[in-house]
Amino acid sequence: MIRNTMRAFGAVVGLGAVAVAAIWASNAIAQGSTAPGPFTEAQAQAGQSLYASRCSGCHESGGETIRLLGPAFTQSWGKRSTRDLHARIKKTMPLTNPGSLTDAETASIVAYILKGNGAAAGAAAFTPATDVTISTVLPARRDAYAGYVSLSSMATATGLTFPGTVEKYTPVTEEMMLNPPPGDWLMHYQNYAGWSHSPLKQINAKNVQNLQLRWVWSMEDGERQQITPLVHDGVMFVSTVINNTVQALNAATGDLIWENRLGPRLENQVNATARAMALYGNQLFYPASDATMYALDARTGKVNWKFKISEYGRDKVGSVMIADGKLILGLGVCDEASLEDRCFIAAYDVKDGRQIWKFSTVAYTGEPGGDTWGDMANGERSGADAWIAGTYDPKLRLVYFGTGQAKAGKHGIGDKLFSNATIALDVDTGKLKWYHQSAPDEGLDLDEVYEKILVDNGSQKLLLSAGKPGILWKLDRTTGQFLDYVPMVFQNVFTSIDRKTGRATYRPDILKPEPGSSRSSCPAQSGGHNWPAASYVPEDDLIVYPLMQICVTSEGGMIGNYEAPGSDGNMGRLSAYRVKDLKPVWTLQQRAPFLTSAMTTAGGVGFIGDWDRTFRAFDVKTGKTLWKTRLGTTAAGFPTTFTVNGEQFVAVPTGYNGGSPQVRPSSMFAFERNRPMVGHAVYVFALPKAQ
Amino acid sequence: MVSKLGLLVAAVMFVAAPAFAAENYQTDIGPTPKNGRQGADVQGRGTVLATLDGNTFKIQGKFAGLSSVATKARLHMGNVMGGTGAAIGDLNIPQAQSGEISGSFTLTPAQVAGLKVGKLYVILDSQSAPKGNLWGWFQPAHVTVPEGVPQAENWYIPNLLDGQDDGASKKNNS
Repeated sequence: MIRNTMRAFGAVVGLGAVAVAAIWASNAIAQGSTAPGPFTEAQAQAGQSLYASRCSGCHESGGETIRLLGPAFTQSWGKRSTRDLHARIKKTMPLTNPGSLTDAETASIVAYILKGNGAAAGAAAFTPATDVTISTVLPARRDAYAGYVSLSSMATATGLTFPGTVEKYTPVTEEMMLNPPPGDWLMHYQNYAGWSHSPLKQINAKNVQNLQLRWVWSMEDGERQQITPLVHDGVMFVSTVINNTVQALNAATGDLIWENRLGPRLENQVNATARAMALYGNQLFYPASDATMYALDARTGKVNWKFKISEYGRDKVGSVMIADGKLILGLGVCDEASLEDRCFIAAYDVKDGRQIWKFSTVAYTGEPGGDTWGDMANGERSGADAWIAGTYDPKLRLVYFGTGQAKAGKHGIGDKLFSNATIALDVDTGKLKWYHQSAPDEGLDLDEVYEKILVDNGSQKLLLSAGKPGILWKLDRTTGQFLDYVPMVFQNVFTSIDRKTGRATYRPDILKPEPGSSRSSCPAQSGGHNWPAASYVPEDDLIVYPLMQICVTSEGGMIGNYEAPGSDGNMGRLSAYRVKDLKPVWTLQQRAPFLTSAMTTAGGVGFIGDWDRTFRAFDVKTGKTLWKTRLGTTAAGFPTTFTVNGEQFVAVPTGYNGGSPQVRPSSMFAFERNRPMVGHAVYVFALPKAQ
Repeated sequence: MVSKLGLLVAAVMFVAAPAFAAENYQTDIGPTPKNGRQGADVQGRGTVLATLDGNTFKIQGKFAGLSSVATKARLHMGNVMGGTGAAIGDLNIPQAQSGEISGSFTLTPAQVAGLKVGKLYVILDSQSAPKGNLWGWFQPAHVTVPEGVPQAENWYIPNLLDGQDDGASKKNNS
């Protein structure tokens, strides 16, 4: 039944792929000749149906994977050999069943990808040994792909396009980072412990229903928008990645103080986002979409220094943090550009960007953990992206990061360290203190990379974390010892969890799928939990999690999403647990998934926004909605709260683009609900002036 | 979505019924997987209630909002809750865009065991979605509430880890 449905889906996708290929082929003809491709027309035609059924579900769906029919492919693979491409696909794809493609099938898929990117078929058949530099058979790169023409007409000026100076700015010190000023939102999660909680209480459960819109700041559309509006000394710092534009705003009025368009302009989808900038001293640190790290003068927007974090252009840094006066970041999307590319977490000197230490999250042969990848060659080991900002315990002097799944190799060769793990690193040296893998050898894109929340329960030093499976894990953050867990959404990926170690056991048919069989798993790649972070409420010892209830079925690489069993059609869930014993306290469900972090305050109020443009305030003790409003498009990013001249404000970003947590529900909302595909902005609310 | 209030009333009636030997189940049937291109053909929603008495499984429910007339409905058993599998038998439905679903089955011991771990599901076809329009997996009867209304403490989440002798895994199961 579903098999046939998916075949129909495949036919549609296949037709779409043909259309894309036709555009590219015509462009190629128009732009002059190149060497014939090392494949035949028959191979490309055979590859077309294989691509539609085995590849397009991930690669052309708008998710987190590279688009193989488009400029992103050229950027990643142009300088490399067709032999490498064949080897990579043969060993690692499809993600749901690596190694299941024959040499001939793989060759056909390579032929189709090359043709889809403009190469012309030739007389010679492609073989696994065919060794041609890919760029030599592709037409010269076009300035604008048809799908992005509208963006190319927008303003492209770069540099300090709106000069200005913040009149009063206090340098951010380590002491301020340790004890953040209540009226500031100095860092991504408000404090080092990752609480996303403010001690402010002027806006509280009794008066929040009076909130009014105070100002809106529209931002450039295009690419993903998941920002955290940082606020210090009454100045809000925001960014957009389409031009790598950074702006300073008067946080009380929304007036622009300075703007720096750092560039380069993105001409195609490259999964870029900048969830978190960082403040320290007089500097604002911004991770640009081309893996350039910028240190701006927070007072003027001028560039103090910059450096390339990675030599590979597709690598990305989604978030940066400060810990112990060091700039610390994790590298993401660092598995496609080169076989030598390798994800890492690193610390830099805030004065000049000099690297202080670096920890590679993919263990190579001869290194600790290197034997957990079987006999896989070092260059083929990939994944373990650290694409979410870390947290920091200044007393233990440990920084905590998560990593994503390994993106190579079959199940069963080993645990693939340090993928899908919580990692504790010495802030001084970067040396590994401990790691914990709840789901080793993960291959369903169920990352455990997300926020690591640090809470003290008496003498217990806890770390709370949840990944895409939607299971809340409690660890001892001194040792990494597993303590407890609770499933927060329905999952059918694991059949058991070891009470002593916390190690999960996979469903047998996930580890060894039968050829040709369909496979369903819950949660889907969008995750039971994803980048919208949880918030810890110290006043009530509650942790509040935004959750998603979507499943996925795949057959031969074709993917479709559906509502999780028991969800009654509610894709969104918001749940509160008591940290002390993980006791469930309250939950609510709704049709639209939540796409901002949960942000709470000492006023007993929490804030969260969703796909369907609703931004709401809730009672942190009960979950009851206290106030809500509709925004221009999807609420997406990290709400913050702050004061200016003694008045409390609440800020929430909006954005319509944002990886699988937006892509999957958006497809399920088709013909039911809609939202504008423009509207990147920051909305700021406050109580009426009279109050 | 169909009226959540209706679902609430139905669920509460179920839960409030005297506790005899029969076991009550429910599922909210929603759209089968879609990718945005075929979404117009895969619309609608329904609620199906069921009772297991011995090995007799009786089903009664409603559906509405299809974009074309319903053509067929069946009871299946998947490989796992949320997964697909072979058909057990046909259900009675009208050839209409809304209506009632009903059926009665004598389940095998394996099917009874499957029901108790959430493997049994309903799938309904329509003219525009002949390979599946709505589906849903049977859950034990439980209280449901309208969208956005908070529930305190022991709310319902299907939990396949329940088989473990493990209190933590049952923390949020009703």
